[in-house]
Amino acid sequence: MVLIKTPRDTLLAPLQSVSGIVERRHTLPILSNVLLEKKGDNLTFLATDIEIQITTSSGGAGGDSDGAVTVGARKLQDILRSLPDSAEVSLTLDDKRLQVRAGKSRFSLQTLPADDFPRMVVAEGDGKHFQLTQKSFRQLLAKTQYAMAAQDVRYYLNGLLLLVEGKELRAVATDGHRLAYASVGIEAELPRQEIIVPRKTVLELNRLLADNDEPLNITLTANQVRFAFGSIVLVSKLIDGKFPDYERVVPATLKNHMVAGRQLLMQAMQRAAILTNEKFRGVRVVLGDNSLKLIAANAEQEEAQEEIEVQYTGDPLDIGFNVGYLLDVLNNLHSDEVQWSFNDANSSALITVPGDDCFKYVVMPMRI
Amino acid sequence: MSCRWIAHLDMDAFYASVELLRYPELRGSPVVVGGRRAPAPREDGSRRFPRLRDYVGRGVVTTATYEARALGVHSGMGLMKAAALAPDAVLLPADFDQYRKYSRLFKAAVAEVAPVIEDRGIDEIYIDLTAVPGVHAGEPGDPLAGLRAVARDIKARVKAATGLTCSIGATPNKLLSKLCSDLEKPDGLTLLTAADIPARIWPLPAKRINGIGPKASARLEKLGIHTIGDLAAADPLWLVSRFGANYGAWLHDAAHGRDERPVVTYSEPKSLSRETTFERDLHPREDREILGGIFTGLCEQLAADLRRKGYEARTIGIKLRYDDFRTVTREITLPEPTGDAGTIRRHAGLCLKRVPLDRRLRLLGVRAGGLCKTGASATPPAAEAAGPMTLPLFGEGIGGEAFEGGCR
Repeated sequence: MVLIKTPRDTLLAPLQSVSGIVERRHTLPILSNVLLEKKGDNLTFLATDIEIQITTSSGGAGGDSDGAVTVGARKLQDILRSLPDSAEVSLTLDDKRLQVRAGKSRFSLQTLPADDFPRMVVAEGDGKHFQLTQKSFRQLLAKTQYAMAAQDVRYYLNGLLLLVEGKELRAVATDGHRLAYASVGIEAELPRQEIIVPRKTVLELNRLLADNDEPLNITLTANQVRFAFGSIVLVSKLIDGKFPDYERVVPATLKNHMVAGRQLLMQAMQRAAILTNEKFRGVRVVLGDNSLKLIAANAEQEEAQEEIEVQYTGDPLDIGFNVGYLLDVLNNLHSDEVQWSFNDANSSALITVPGDDCFKYVVMPMRI
Repeated sequence: MSCRWIAHLDMDAFYASVELLRYPELRGSPVVVGGRRAPAPREDGSRRFPRLRDYVGRGVVTTATYEARALGVHSGMGLMKAAALAPDAVLLPADFDQYRKYSRLFKAAVAEVAPVIEDRGIDEIYIDLTAVPGVHAGEPGDPLAGLRAVARDIKARVKAATGLTCSIGATPNKLLSKLCSDLEKPDGLTLLTAADIPARIWPLPAKRINGIGPKASARLEKLGIHTIGDLAAADPLWLVSRFGANYGAWLHDAAHGRDERPVVTYSEPKSLSRETTFERDLHPREDREILGGIFTGLCEQLAADLRRKGYEARTIGIKLRYDDFRTVTREITLPEPTGDAGTIRRHAGLCLKRVPLDRRLRLLGVRAGGLCKTGASATPPAAEAAGPMTLPLFGEGIGGEAFEGGCR
């Protein structure tokens, strides 16, 4: 009973879209598997790690019977990937084994019943729904996601805050030392709602979204968020917690403003970073009239100094930062210039893009 | 030792009282301190205070004012349960920095009068008054006049230094003093000699003795022993046959108010621990990632505590509380002492493998035991001393500060 007969890429592309979330070693063996469901010409792929579920489908599946089965996602992907591009692949189900055939290659994979595969109960009904382009959401993620905490005890920091209000969508991420904020306009006008999207979901979305103007549909419910784009539907549970009040952290009045070329500043920092202490990564930023100096030293007393020309007429300042926090933001912006505003060496600094209210980055200094 | 005078000083509703200094307008109304993320009062001039009725979560009451206690609220009670009893009580978040500050203040004030102090935590101390000038003086009709004057002086100094009241029990030993400091709370002063034991101590329930816990108390109840007097009347041999040589003999002595323990002015901590109760019960498998993150975080905090206090641990243990409140602990001995977060995490992980993980968890804790001073061991301390770190964006408030565990 031939389930599927199709060119390799008809299988590989959708499989790769869903398999990113599959854990390599999971306590539940079936979660290492992907669910394949064939109905007529249509083939659906579904993978889950219990927190996130991704489905995608493709047509042109060929084959002469319908059916559903689960099989090791990583193994199937590795097999398909190592076959020649042009290979015609057939999948046959017989006696609990999935036979993969292509040319003279044969693979016999163990399966687990499709009925045992855990599916997320997808919330139906009145979620808040809005649409934007894949590109603009991807940019929103790019501007913020690097500031998420990774394994913080304050579990609600291990994710990205998404907040809709009126005709605006905002994203905020923070690890407790720096905070990135970005916003984008949306068509729909919605009452305020905020959710915390888990870190893994954010990273996966960043991988899956295309840099194009195709639509992305987002639906928010009380404990789930659903992203539908192209042929992919990703449903994720949310982090249940209270995200810190980001508005309180963004400094309202700052008296010293510096404007610098982003590339120039970033390159100087990348060089200075080479001789920072590997663990603490501290760099001194010394500001004087239209000049910015970077000074770094490591545990071996090796030292780096950089000086670049900037626009600055504020107070002379000598302030320490974790250079990683600065490179993160400079790396993820695309503007020609950045503005960097300070009060003093002990309070938070704000990095913005001149003429763009849609992005803010707050970073705390370090005492060196 | 027959003429010792030992005082036990216990601050009255300490955390709540410190908060009342800050918000004097709340004096006389029920106030509860607790909750990991109880909102701070709004400082927009109007000082609107959050009420207990609006609390949603699973924090517990850390301290309640006497007005709140009158409504049935007590320390350790869930805040939601407390809200059912006292919905209009004001709920304030705990501010441990502030409590530590006042703790130092009151201890310093006592030390001016009586320097022999045993620190029993943030809000209580034992004081050896035996050598304080004038303490043994008596007046006609009041043999305890000297002791009373010293105790009053201490209370007055604590009040002057902190604005807070305390309760003092002063007796010939720690056991009786601890009992007595509780008798006339708040702002109490209870003096007692061996001759007063039958009248003042024996009518009290046996479980009031520090050292008779819920289990021993239940066993005593079953045996028909309800009061300390019942215990004192019991045959010591019979107690030993029921409770073992050590505990049985101790029960007999305790009931007669005998306790020779000295006031210990300095002791090395035996263990350090960190623990946290989750916002919601977490499943070991389904919430594996979250739990893993929290677990690692606790180990890192514990390593930081050890480093700050200059200790290394010979044993690492874990504590789990399941959703049905069953609690289990496991401990493992290390080949050599460590203060390293990674090593702690690894061994705590080994402990975790020895407990069943088939139901949801509400609490997770990590403990470092067998402490020794860093450098006492053969291996040099890890060279990663605290270095320059980026300052926190949100202040101390949202960190794990509130979970700072038992340090004794």
